[in-house]
Amino acid sequence: MQKEKCAHTWQMVNVTPCFIITEKCYHCGKISTYFSTGHNPPMEEYREGEHYWNFMESAQSIHFDLKCTKCNMLVKFDELLGVKMCTGCDENCEANTLLKKLEPERTWVYIAFGCLPVNEKKQLSKEKISILEEYFNQRRKSSKSRIKVISHEIVSNIEDCYAEVIKDVDMLSLTLPEK
Amino acid sequence: MKLQEIIDKVGLKKLTNVEVRNVQGVFISDMLSDVMTNAKSGNLWLTVQTHKNTVSAANLINLAAIVVTHGKEVPQETIDLANRFYVIILGSDLSTYELVSKLIGIGLKP
Amino acid sequence: MAEELKLNLNLKRIKKVLKADVIQGKGLLSTKISGVYASDLVSDVLAYSKSGSVLLTGLCTKQVAISAYLSLFKAIIFIRGKRPNKEILEFAEEKNMIILLTENDMFEACVKIANADSNSISKFVKLIESSEKKNTSVHKFHIDGQDFSNSGLLSTQIKSILQNIGYEPYLIKRVSISAYEGEMNVVMHAKEANLTLNANEKEIQIIINDRGKGIPDIEQAMQAGYSTATEDQRALGFGSGMGLPNIKKNSDELKITSEVGKGTKVEMKFYVIQE
Repeated sequence: MQKEKCAHTWQMVNVTPCFIITEKCYHCGKISTYFSTGHNPPMEEYREGEHYWNFMESAQSIHFDLKCTKCNMLVKFDELLGVKMCTGCDENCEANTLLKKLEPERTWVYIAFGCLPVNEKKQLSKEKISILEEYFNQRRKSSKSRIKVISHEIVSNIEDCYAEVIKDVDMLSLTLPEK
Repeated sequence: MKLQEIIDKVGLKKLTNVEVRNVQGVFISDMLSDVMTNAKSGNLWLTVQTHKNTVSAANLINLAAIVVTHGKEVPQETIDLANRFYVIILGSDLSTYELVSKLIGIGLKP
Repeated sequence: MAEELKLNLNLKRIKKVLKADVIQGKGLLSTKISGVYASDLVSDVLAYSKSGSVLLTGLCTKQVAISAYLSLFKAIIFIRGKRPNKEILEFAEEKNMIILLTENDMFEACVKIANADSNSISKFVKLIESSEKKNTSVHKFHIDGQDFSNSGLLSTQIKSILQNIGYEPYLIKRVSISAYEGEMNVVMHAKEANLTLNANEKEIQIIINDRGKGIPDIEQAMQAGYSTATEDQRALGFGSGMGLPNIKKNSDELKITSEVGKGTKVEMKFYVIQE
């Protein structure tokens, strides 16, 4: 007997507030990003293999998993650092081509990105990206517009991508805003 | 409630193009991660954030509109981005809390 | 920039309406507060808030506690069940600050506090005079004609006054509907008006005295469907013509006197039925 396939209804679970830490190695120029649940990232330069990491930015974000409310299937999103909206910053980027194609039907391209450097850390699978897309579209409750989630692998240069990242920078700054 | 009705009754400024939309509920936060976690499609989002990545968050969750409170000036680049992605941004000189008092007055409920 | 909001509330009342837990400063709850500020942005807390306020926030870090302290806040309320760590609690204790926790989200929390504080809504309707003797409560308000952006707020205000006195919900509903219709009539047709609310244990009376063009034919105006609303007003959803008939339906006594070119006086009464 064949098991019936569940038409998943996703729900965000295991939501943990955390910080996206960005560091740079001035020897090779690479950027490193990762989640931290602590409030104080290492401010001093430190060595990791061939890299010498220096602190650049700390932004508030969340880590989450998705769970199907019908069949209880849990999908862990440890490899996902965040999502960002493609604004078509690079003419030659494939994400821009996709956005141009989908824009007339109000389908917006969001890039799911993992930790940097890309080839040194585990990245999100295609299956998980399509689950993420399914989740956000279910939540939109709209037939008039949609979200297309793509992997950062499609972006021509993820380190130079100016897509709008959903994260909170400078929330904790005690500096007064400019008038 | 229709967005236009709220704009008229509460006296909100239109900072971007506005189209016909229904508003279902109000969400208040200045954290984008909070919007991504807890806001609901159709919400009116009250915030003091004006960075252009608010457009990214509002568009992802399909919010009805962003209302920037405290009379904060919204940068042109945020407005341009919002217009391109059909995200509506409105403005109010009231504080977030005072605006809530007015929204209750016209019948919006949690 | 918005003018300062004078709150008529203390933390005890806020604790009650938010069903909040006090985890720091239990002995300081009778402190009066001067305003409510809802934000998660530390820099804005510093820039815009007024001293003596209470901060509502979902951002649970020490920087928030520091900025609240620097801005002379009396208390911090963490929303949606966020729990501050030991470091924040110690800081608050040292600085004599009060910390409350609530499960409400930011909008719910603002709504509950605003509803508990009659002044936060009445800021938008001009309360001229208010007196409360034993068993009677008299409030006088001013209504501006053509002020559509604030229309309906006075009725909300009246409703919360009646709720605070403790009338039976169905009676409050009838009075609120009638007050709303009366208020809308002023906003649509008159230049301005004074509204007097007289509530005691036997009856609730509302008198609206407007300065405006008056009603030439009261009998015609009482018919359902009759409306003199302008096109602009119809576009806002007003002017269905149900105003006066709706007041008649909901009130126990209604008296209208009008002089063309001068104004209209609407007096309505609602009986309080004692159990």
